[in-house]
Amino acid sequence: MARNIEAAKCVQCGKLHYPTHFYCPSCKGTKFQGVAIEGEGTLVTWTRSHVLPLDYSTMYITLGIVQMDMGVKVMGQLDVGTPQTGMRLRSRIGKVREIQGSDIKGLVFTAI
Amino acid sequence: MRDVAIVGVGSTQFGRAQWSLLKMMCEASHEAIQDASLGDRKIDAVFVANMGSARNNRMAGLASALVDRMNLYPAAAETIENGPASGASAFKMGFLGVASGFYDVVLVCGGERMREVNNLEATEFVSFLSHRYAEYVYGVTLPGLAALFARMYMERYGVTNEHLAMVAIKNHANGLLNRKAHIRDSITMEGILTGPDAINNNPWVSEPLRFYDCCPVSDGSSALILAPANLAKELCRKPVRVAGIGQGTDTHAVHERPDPTELTAVRIASQKAFHMAGLTPQDIGVAELHDAFTILEIAESEEAGFFPKGEGHKALERGETQINGRLPINPSGGLKARGHPVGNTGVSQLVELSLQLRGDAGKYQVPSRPKHGFTVNFGGFGNNVIATVLSEGV
Repeated sequence: MARNIEAAKCVQCGKLHYPTHFYCPSCKGTKFQGVAIEGEGTLVTWTRSHVLPLDYSTMYITLGIVQMDMGVKVMGQLDVGTPQTGMRLRSRIGKVREIQGSDIKGLVFTAI
Repeated sequence: MRDVAIVGVGSTQFGRAQWSLLKMMCEASHEAIQDASLGDRKIDAVFVANMGSARNNRMAGLASALVDRMNLYPAAAETIENGPASGASAFKMGFLGVASGFYDVVLVCGGERMREVNNLEATEFVSFLSHRYAEYVYGVTLPGLAALFARMYMERYGVTNEHLAMVAIKNHANGLLNRKAHIRDSITMEGILTGPDAINNNPWVSEPLRFYDCCPVSDGSSALILAPANLAKELCRKPVRVAGIGQGTDTHAVHERPDPTELTAVRIASQKAFHMAGLTPQDIGVAELHDAFTILEIAESEEAGFFPKGEGHKALERGETQINGRLPINPSGGLKARGHPVGNTGVSQLVELSLQLRGDAGKYQVPSRPKHGFTVNFGGFGNNVIATVLSEGV
């Protein structure tokens, strides 16, 4: 089972944020509880990127920003043939990159 | 604080450098020193802007190296790295040094030699600006972030690929008039968007952005000399006053912004710069905006207050941002055609604006001879932005 990608929930005020910050963006609290980023969401914007970092061997990757139903927006890779803004997506954890021989896991989205 | 003026400017040819990074910086600095007629007057401090020399050129401590190469001892020397906003950051530090009275004469020099590595390596190194764990790991590059932003903007405000191409065509036409521009190449709507060969001439980089929506990878150096206003009159026939500087920051990850189509840091930086200058966007007669991607020229022109939100592309359609329009934007060719030596860009924008306010821009001189000019130097993907207002005379 791949490790979760987690948002941070402020123990003091309950604000959920991602990525994590040292101080809570809402109340400046410093204690947080990890909350797995998972489930469904809505595609806010996307791109098919043809100019890639050096460590990719594919012709392109498809990236999107997704508003998750659990409350945060995230960037992820889209495993979707024809993305459309507003479409519903489901997240999973998958390989998104290889850096110096190590697989990097991250959020991958498929159409519902 | 004392009033501060730009009393000399200089710049190399942009494009593929014929010289080392340090030699380029010496040439630009020398031109600025000559332009300022400093004579025997000492330079008190040197502020150098650069983003990637340690990685791309295997050089660090550039400001110290520049002082040595130009025999400017014992001038104080600082190298400033603030991503693509390094140039305006170095300028701001120089301004503060003179305004406070700590220094009298300051050299600000930006330099970047990106073409020592190939285009993919250069794109990769700039992508280090993205959020390491929430963006970079997914393979996003700066064109990728710009594309995600562009699609949202286009869908919300009715901006089309034709509008983006209009920015590129305008800035390429301006760049043709600037002998130091990297790209001196006339392009047409048919050639890059509507004609049968357009997809070959202008392929996708990161959809919906194509090749001509993105700035080139450039080498180049620019420099300017700052002095207090009372000294400026002795040194320089046509000093340019630093009227206002503003800076704003925003979330590192673009997706964390409540509305990712808002460039809040541009708005804050612009408002602060106008407040300090005691001017409004209506007073500005020429602007050099950070068009690393065509969509950014449109979006920044709105956030700076020149046009209502969502209407920058309509002003573009009406020709208002042409060199002879109501508000010429990027008469130098902008990042799009003049080029984008990334850490140098903020300095080069201020050099270009100074030339316009002095009436020394030659073939690309804005005909209305503006009295006030404005720049946006855009760092990261909008997470650190510096706006500057310059005014003719002291």
